[in-house]
Amino acid sequence: MAQSPPRSGRPPIQQLQTVADLLETPALARLYAHILQYGPVTVSEIVDALDIPQGTAYDYVQNLETTGLVEKTRDQRPYEYNGEPIALTLSTDGETQTITPALIAAVARRDEDEDIDVYIDRHGLDGLAVALAYAYEYVEGAVNHRIAARELDLSPLEAEIILQALEPVATKYADTAT
Amino acid sequence: MTTVYVADTGVFVRCGGPDKEKFQRLRRAVRQAGVSLCVPKRVYEELGGDPAADAYPSGNIPYPDGFEEGWIVVADDLDYTTPLVSTMMDETRRFIANETDRDEDLTEKADTALVGLAAQLLDTGEADHVVLLTTDKPAGRAAETLLPQHGFSDRIEFRYVSVTYLETLTADEFR
Repeated sequence: MAQSPPRSGRPPIQQLQTVADLLETPALARLYAHILQYGPVTVSEIVDALDIPQGTAYDYVQNLETTGLVEKTRDQRPYEYNGEPIALTLSTDGETQTITPALIAAVARRDEDEDIDVYIDRHGLDGLAVALAYAYEYVEGAVNHRIAARELDLSPLEAEIILQALEPVATKYADTAT
Repeated sequence: MTTVYVADTGVFVRCGGPDKEKFQRLRRAVRQAGVSLCVPKRVYEELGGDPAADAYPSGNIPYPDGFEEGWIVVADDLDYTTPLVSTMMDETRRFIANETDRDEDLTEKADTALVGLAAQLLDTGEADHVVLLTTDKPAGRAAETLLPQHGFSDRIEFRYVSVTYLETLTADEFR
């Protein structure tokens, strides 16, 4: 079952497809996270900030605009774009996971942070989403790596590695965490 | 006055990764100040206890160099028969359970090793002052809150080891 709040005005299954792209394509995730954080922005500003090819940036922005995750806020050239925060909740067999801008931002870091990349390889995106929830608590001081290790069934060392790797994302998105 | 610097697992994880710049900075600062970092047995075990962690850049930590060069040392075993050590560890367990909103049964003795070691160092007189270098905020707060209640006011300091802390670290931090 997939649910999505109606705020983006896009049907859930269409969003799901874009979300799958975001989770699989770190560069697309970086672009979306950038627009969310700094928008409204122009494509050339994005190209400068993220160091991705201009053609790719145009394709990505268009793709996100089609699905409603990005909105054109200036109709004259140069066009400016703003981001719509995503919140897609997926439930299967009693397990529920919400895909949030913070999770997309964490995935976006896998190109630059190999610790996150290795963690996703070992524990999947669901594992990353759970670790991110612990990272909020870690930043607040409401958990430490030892307790997290036992609850996530990791070694204390691996727990500390992923909590530190996710610390910047958890810090940035702390206000939006539920 | 003797200050002992107790370091937790998180300090060394922060130093990991392909560029060992932060590790070299820590090494330089500690050696220039002529001190050493004292790690509880528990931390020593955590650092070496998971071969799977080698897959992570940050799991690749050159801490054995520190032991060879003598600026990282493993602390004596905790003496649980010492009243102060066992009291502190019990209180720390409760404190951490409360801070983390967990059942006390779910926190383990090992979680309190840092604070137990600080108590032991102060109790035996090995240290007049203990600085706790850690990323474990619940344990750091426990030390800062509980040790002063046992007569060790102004003799314990918790330093949260952030990326910035390590990137700007100099020997002055250990003097």
